[in-house]
Amino acid sequence: METAFRKVDIDIYDEDVLQESELYDADPRDPAEVLEDAKQKQVAVRSLLARNDIPGALTVILDNAPYGPTAEEAKVITLQTLLTILNTTKSTEITGVIKSLSLDTQDTLMKYLYKGMAMPGWGDISGSVLLGWHEKLTEVAGVGCIVRTMTDRRAV
Amino acid sequence: MPEVFSLAQVPITSHAFSADRSQVAVSLNSNEAQIFTRQGSEWIPTITLAEHDKLITSIDWAPNSNRIVTCSQDRNAYVWQEQVDPETGKLVWKPTLVLLRINRAATYVKWSPKEDKFAVASGARAIAICSFDPENNWWVAKQLKKPIRSTVLSVDWHPNNVLLAAGSADMKARVLSAYIKEIDDRPAPTVWGSKLPFNTICGEYSSPAGGWVHAVGFSPSGDVLAFASHDSSISIAYPNGPLINIRMPSLPLVSLVWTSEDSIVAAGHDCRPIVFNGSEAGWQEAGTLDDVTAPRSPESRSGFGGSGGVGRLKAGAFATFRDADLRGQSNAAATSADTKLLTIHQNTITNVRAYEYSGANVTKVSTSGVDGMLVIWDVDAVTSLTARLGGAHLR
Repeated sequence: METAFRKVDIDIYDEDVLQESELYDADPRDPAEVLEDAKQKQVAVRSLLARNDIPGALTVILDNAPYGPTAEEAKVITLQTLLTILNTTKSTEITGVIKSLSLDTQDTLMKYLYKGMAMPGWGDISGSVLLGWHEKLTEVAGVGCIVRTMTDRRAV
Repeated sequence: MPEVFSLAQVPITSHAFSADRSQVAVSLNSNEAQIFTRQGSEWIPTITLAEHDKLITSIDWAPNSNRIVTCSQDRNAYVWQEQVDPETGKLVWKPTLVLLRINRAATYVKWSPKEDKFAVASGARAIAICSFDPENNWWVAKQLKKPIRSTVLSVDWHPNNVLLAAGSADMKARVLSAYIKEIDDRPAPTVWGSKLPFNTICGEYSSPAGGWVHAVGFSPSGDVLAFASHDSSISIAYPNGPLINIRMPSLPLVSLVWTSEDSIVAAGHDCRPIVFNGSEAGWQEAGTLDDVTAPRSPESRSGFGGSGGVGRLKAGAFATFRDADLRGQSNAAATSADTKLLTIHQNTITNVRAYEYSGANVTKVSTSGVDGMLVIWDVDAVTSLTARLGGAHLR
């Protein structure tokens, strides 16, 4: 069967095609502002980690997390900072930490866990740490949390 | 106790009862609609409605005019009416064609409260509002198109016979006017607006995490809209008030029905109906109608935990793989091939409908699903889901 035609992007000929950007509300913040915000959070997280305040650090980094196509650099910084938190948390403390987070923060954390698992070998990513968090997070927030990670177009 | 009927070994795509509940029309995942008639505690297949070429996606049975409407992936809809056959003198169901003018599958159909119109949702980014044209003896459609950006998955009528709610794969739930000049009286002003020409947009809502909107429903008064989306959440929208969103720890809901002004029953991929209660001040999950801890036949309860957890995670297939992973066990004796869920429905529930009323409130709902079962539930028999988080444990 002739399948070469499938390589043609027919959507460009369709004036009424549904764009990705129509499926979610874009981040109202300026990209430069988001980047600056991410850098500041990185500093704030360091001081919180020094005081061993893991829930505080997670809340800071996951609240208003950058999303959308214009915030790639801010996303990288946020992921790096988050990995520091995840890697320094003792595995016995994880469940307690997750329970203290808001529903929004839990959902965003799940997005980052999947983002991390999709980038093996990048930075400080450790598969076993991510899986440990994933297991505990699923116990607390349920499979609904995973479903929201899959449906939410505000990708981190 | 819920009444459980196993109608078929194939999925039930849609079901709709006759007004007296003695008959039910179902689509058994095929191009034919099947009418079952109740005989005691059993449902006997009696009539087949064959006219569509492809899968029937939705059925609705008008209680007062006793007409059935079916819509299908073949882009057609038919209105079926019981008429006397001039040759045999028997009552037979005769189809009337509906001119939908859509170029994609029809996905959902619903009679308006007065039964003089119906709405057909479709993959053509349009909703066809159909009304009868006596001159030509067929049903003609007028299309709602703007601002729909993707397949419409469900619709629901406002009690005033004019406003229509639509849930769509573009992640939005909308309230639109389906006012047809020739049929409708000028509607009285509602909370959704006062001037309502055809295709007026009276509201547009989406859940924070997005997701296809699988189900929409107006409250009995028509003043509140509920919708369930694929981000495992249900939202309740007050047009001049808050948009309340309830996130669930379980799998997404795909169908919902209001049982009173402050209560909703919804069901979906989690295989059991869930009850939500609330008001403009706030909504919460009240529990489930499917009490998995209730005593049942022993063979359905063998194996894993009576903790009342999320059905799927405790299921036998899951446990089989878990044991193989954790303990290296793969022998059939240990796992006893138990793949039965603890819930009554053994697969996704695709339809929830009102079954029995007491005044304005619904006292019983019916559900059908991919497992071929039809279940009638008492909406007062709510069991708390507090044990559910314990049930979500992965080991």
